[in-house]
Amino acid sequence: MRYVIIGNGVAGITTAETIRQYDPKGGITLIGDESAAPYCRPMISLVLEGAITPEKLPIRGSRFYDDLNIQAVLGNRVTDIDVEKRTVAVGGSSYGFDRLLIATGADPRPIKAEGAALGNISYMRNQDHVQTMLAGLRDARRALVLGGGLVGFKAAYGLLRRGLAVTMLIRSGYPLSMQVDEEAGMMIRDELVRHGLDVRVDIEAIAFEGNGRVRTAHLSDGSRLPCDIVVIGKGVLPALAFVPRDRIRTDLGIVVDGRMETSVAGIFAAGDVAEYVDIARNTPWVNAIWPEAVNQGRIAGLNMAGRRVTYPGSLSRNVIRIFDLDIMAGGVVDPPQDALYRTLVFNNANKKLYRKLVFQGDHLVGMVMVNGIEQGGLLLAAIQSRAQLKVPRETLLEPGLNYGRLLWRPAIA
Amino acid sequence: MKQVVIHPERCVGCMQCMPACATAHSRTGQLFTAIMETPRPHSRVHVGAGLIGEGFPNRCRHCDPAPCQLACLPGAIFRDSQFDTVLIDPDKCINCASCAMACPFGVIRYHADTFAPPGKTVAVKCDNCIVRQEQGQIPACVEVCKSGALTFEEPAAALKRKTDAVARSISVGATIEPLPPGFGLLNAIKKVQVELRQARPPAAGF
Repeated sequence: MRYVIIGNGVAGITTAETIRQYDPKGGITLIGDESAAPYCRPMISLVLEGAITPEKLPIRGSRFYDDLNIQAVLGNRVTDIDVEKRTVAVGGSSYGFDRLLIATGADPRPIKAEGAALGNISYMRNQDHVQTMLAGLRDARRALVLGGGLVGFKAAYGLLRRGLAVTMLIRSGYPLSMQVDEEAGMMIRDELVRHGLDVRVDIEAIAFEGNGRVRTAHLSDGSRLPCDIVVIGKGVLPALAFVPRDRIRTDLGIVVDGRMETSVAGIFAAGDVAEYVDIARNTPWVNAIWPEAVNQGRIAGLNMAGRRVTYPGSLSRNVIRIFDLDIMAGGVVDPPQDALYRTLVFNNANKKLYRKLVFQGDHLVGMVMVNGIEQGGLLLAAIQSRAQLKVPRETLLEPGLNYGRLLWRPAIA
Repeated sequence: MKQVVIHPERCVGCMQCMPACATAHSRTGQLFTAIMETPRPHSRVHVGAGLIGEGFPNRCRHCDPAPCQLACLPGAIFRDSQFDTVLIDPDKCINCASCAMACPFGVIRYHADTFAPPGKTVAVKCDNCIVRQEQGQIPACVEVCKSGALTFEEPAAALKRKTDAVARSISVGATIEPLPPGFGLLNAIKKVQVELRQARPPAAGF
């Protein structure tokens, strides 16, 4: 059996490891755009903030490819997939496959502003981006962050920790509007503002000016903002430009079934590029997060190696620690005004404790926690298992929540 | 390989396992000196109160595959094959709480620890008392448990005992092996306490 895996992010390498576990002899070719050893992408922001050194990033040893007998083809992007001939084209060569995994991840959403190619304007998606930013930091004082999503937010936090004056431009009223609800978002905003962040709402950068290196940003309200480093965090898009869309079904991402197989038999997809059902929303969704990339990589690997295993669906979730706040959120955090949904809220402003639970009938479908997040996994597991609650809903909101309280014991109930 | 098996129906909520665990994971190994240590040793087994206040000794199940291990960003969580135990390397841990999102039992805590670099907050959980086991001892929580809620045995043997009990219960003329009467009495009292409290709720909410 010849396996080809496109992408050496965590979905790709987890798939490779899983295949090797169940098929010791099959030939595995792993094609990767980034030539560095497999590393932990979510941790690059920790390098920016100075919490860790880049040496901490690799998640597998330097002999990873050799140890698993994997042929690594690094440094180039795949340009084409021939579905008929079952080949993949990369860097002028062609590789035949029996089973193919597409795990190309996602690329930053580009911006349209004029002058965006100036020096010290960068995305924050991979190791190289962060190295570039660190090099540009040395004589930088004023940073501008475009976007208040996870990347923009992490960039802003990192730059604040580096002692820069940071301005963040966002469309919604608070950062992380895709991850948390308004209440938690405002708590995050206030915490960042308390530490010096300047947040501007409903405004965009339309052009940049500078002599080789960015010096000024022109904003959509006609004002100008001096800045010497700019980070673009306007979200990511699945990296599927090379995928023949007439053959392999795509939507926002590559559409897969519960076995991570695409519309073409023998071709699989996993990670940030794959689109499958979101458990909480019960609709097709791309959940571009690390733990889902790992899960999907395992499921894809098992199925590619001939084990039939299905995946129940993905769940959006995130956990973030900043200054004095710990935030965890997952599933539907902002339900539509709809009789289907019921929301329970616990808020203690003095203790900076906030909890919100979203129910659909007897099922938990969403949660937001600010501080006291240790039991958050119980709630996320309850969402993922689609379990019908047997205890009163309010039980899940109590600060004293623990596993024992979720157990229904007929002998004593 | 023997493992700790939990029998929640036998837990009386006395919490003796907690100081025993904290002491076993202290520098000095003695209760009276352990409480003076900095950082203060914490228990890795957590007795939580259930719906009627009944005890539940919650500890790491050492799942295989372990969701926390799969979710760990820096690769700090690994499996020790000799003791079939999931461990956290405090040097590698970055305190990102990804494991808090992954653990469906809520058994991971975040604090400074005797075995972590000084001053560093790390993820901490049950390690099956590997150090004690290497010295021929059983895990501290089991050693101190008086009610039989925690036992240290071969999982296969424990499973067979439970299976046999189910088989006996559906046999002709079967009788269900009752718990000692004290457990029933204790839970009946706890249940009444909850009902009384609900009938006359305290002035302030939680």
